[in-house]
Amino acid sequence: MNTEATIFIIDDDPAIRDSLTLMVVQEGFTVSTFESAEAFLESFQTERFGCAIVDLRMSGMDGMQLQEMLTKHHIQLPIIFLTGHGDIPMSVRAIRAGAIDFLTKPVTREKLMTSVRFALIESERILTERATHQSVQSHLAELTERERDVMALAVQGHSNKEIARQLGISHRTVEIHKSKVMHKTGATNLLDLARIAHEGDL
Amino acid sequence: MKDSLLTNLSVQTLFDVAADAMLLVDDTGHVQQANPVALELLGYTFEQINGLEIEALIPESYRSQHHQHRNTYAKNPEKRPMGKGRDLVALRRDRSELAVDISLSPLDIGNQHFVLATLHIADKRRKVEEALKISEERLRLAKEAAGLGVFDFDYRHNIIHWDERMRDIWGEESEETVSYKKFVAAIHPDDRVARQAVIDRAIDPASNGEYSVDYRVKNPNDGVERWIATMGRIHFTNGHATRLLGVARDITEQKILEKTLQEQRAEMEALFKQQVASQTVSAIAHELNQPLAAISAYSEVALHALNSGTFNPENLKHALEGAVAQAQRAGKSLHELLAFMQKGQLVTERFELNHVLKEALNIAKGDGYGDFSPLLSLEPAMPEVLGNVTQVRKILVNLLRNAVEAMRGAGAPSSAISITVRTNQEINMAHVTIQDSGPGLDADTAKRIFEPFFTTKPTGIGMGLAISRALTEANGGQLWLEQNNKPGATFHFTLPFAT
Repeated sequence: MNTEATIFIIDDDPAIRDSLTLMVVQEGFTVSTFESAEAFLESFQTERFGCAIVDLRMSGMDGMQLQEMLTKHHIQLPIIFLTGHGDIPMSVRAIRAGAIDFLTKPVTREKLMTSVRFALIESERILTERATHQSVQSHLAELTERERDVMALAVQGHSNKEIARQLGISHRTVEIHKSKVMHKTGATNLLDLARIAHEGDL
Repeated sequence: MKDSLLTNLSVQTLFDVAADAMLLVDDTGHVQQANPVALELLGYTFEQINGLEIEALIPESYRSQHHQHRNTYAKNPEKRPMGKGRDLVALRRDRSELAVDISLSPLDIGNQHFVLATLHIADKRRKVEEALKISEERLRLAKEAAGLGVFDFDYRHNIIHWDERMRDIWGEESEETVSYKKFVAAIHPDDRVARQAVIDRAIDPASNGEYSVDYRVKNPNDGVERWIATMGRIHFTNGHATRLLGVARDITEQKILEKTLQEQRAEMEALFKQQVASQTVSAIAHELNQPLAAISAYSEVALHALNSGTFNPENLKHALEGAVAQAQRAGKSLHELLAFMQKGQLVTERFELNHVLKEALNIAKGDGYGDFSPLLSLEPAMPEVLGNVTQVRKILVNLLRNAVEAMRGAGAPSSAISITVRTNQEINMAHVTIQDSGPGLDADTAKRIFEPFFTTKPTGIGMGLAISRALTEANGGQLWLEQNNKPGATFHFTLPFAT
């Protein structure tokens, strides 16, 4: 898995970028560096497996602003912040906003790598969740409108009879729709169907 | 001249033109003459009043008394007002009564004794008195509203006349005057000298006599200390101060408020100084921490390479070179800082400005500020300038960094920075102009841009231009911002030539 991960290093100090790159590459990761948050945002297109090591204090857009921008664009990328001084209120704010860690420069190899590994676990979780979500979405997309109606009522706990009455169709038709829903979504039972409905934001 | 005028003017004429009512009464108490004003006042014609007994002009109830008074006066005639302060009443022909003041003057014509009686309408005097009373009342009200006390220091007798308000402040009961010694005794000992100095200045006849001083007064009854603001004016007679007439106001609350404000201001100043110090320390810390962080990382890379035994010599070399360069960078930052703090010991040398500009361009690029295209216009073979190379380089780098940041912040379409180095013939100095393609500065920002700790950047500490200006001036030049309507900020600085 390590070899697939990309570690983004975003810092306006060339010496910091250079030295951290050497360190992270030694661990076998691929590194991509940027001298500003703006340059990073410009090149970062889609979510990928990895994490970002971001300097908090940069000319132009700073680290916290970058985090806000990513959140605003629904990009889930684990961030490790580097800061010159231990600013506690700011670190609390960053962690609350989903940052993995808030490390003080100079940072030791051990601390940085622990955070990087933790960030990659988080990244993996995000991507898996995203993949599940997407597969559920594609299953749900196969359903007809009437099948979606039946599914929505079924997962709310309504009986076939009740669904038939509400939709103004026969009991038999409800049974046929429901069986098709179970087949198309691959759900094994009603509980499983409810989970799929939840993951697919139905 | 005077004599001839008087002889030509008959007594009768004077009598007729006088503005006051006059009656000439003989020693038997009969009216012999009445001037037109008197006739008008009493409502008689001359024929009617001529020979009339004077008592006919007095209400009946006073007549018998008047006989006696007239006899007493005849024995000892003198010029005096009649009635000794009592209200006198004249009876007019239509029986109406009129309040009057009467002056009596004995007058001998030939060997006959007369009395000249002059009548003023007392109503007029009363109105004046009334008006005076009203204005005194108004003054009192105003005085009370303003909390003013009034005092009048009589220099000749060394006493002070004062009003109730003053007595309240001084804690004196009801004496309308006080000795100067007692007056001063209540004044706070620390304030006496300053007060005396103000008085000494005011009593100098060469001064305008104005007096204004604040001091503390301690009330001996309640022990309360009050701040008093006094102001007044010295009156001079024949070049000597005779009176000091003035007002006093209790300003204790105002003084307390002033003190509180002063304390708050001092507190704010201390806070500001503390902030400045902490910002400065923070800036220095950043300058040093960055290379330290890089050195630490490079060293760990080298160590890891050696420990793992699988090191790539190129990478190891790179890491160690990086560590050395960063240690040098940290040292340089410290030296620049020290150089800045020891402006007095500036080491200058001759150098080519164009050459240092090129160095500055390289430094800016190496520091992550390379995203611009320089449009250079350099005067060839310009004479050498005199200054401190490190500082001049620092000024140039600062200006370039600012220009790049201004363009980045605005997402300017062009990233050109035009840099001109030329000889300014007018002042015979080297003149550098740096113009960026950013949005420029609004008037408010332009006004404050050189102030220490003024910044438009989210993370800046606002010392860059303040330091650059200080450095330029330390090198005998000037740094300024061009005020224009063009887009892009234009900075100029000058340096002296080495001659």
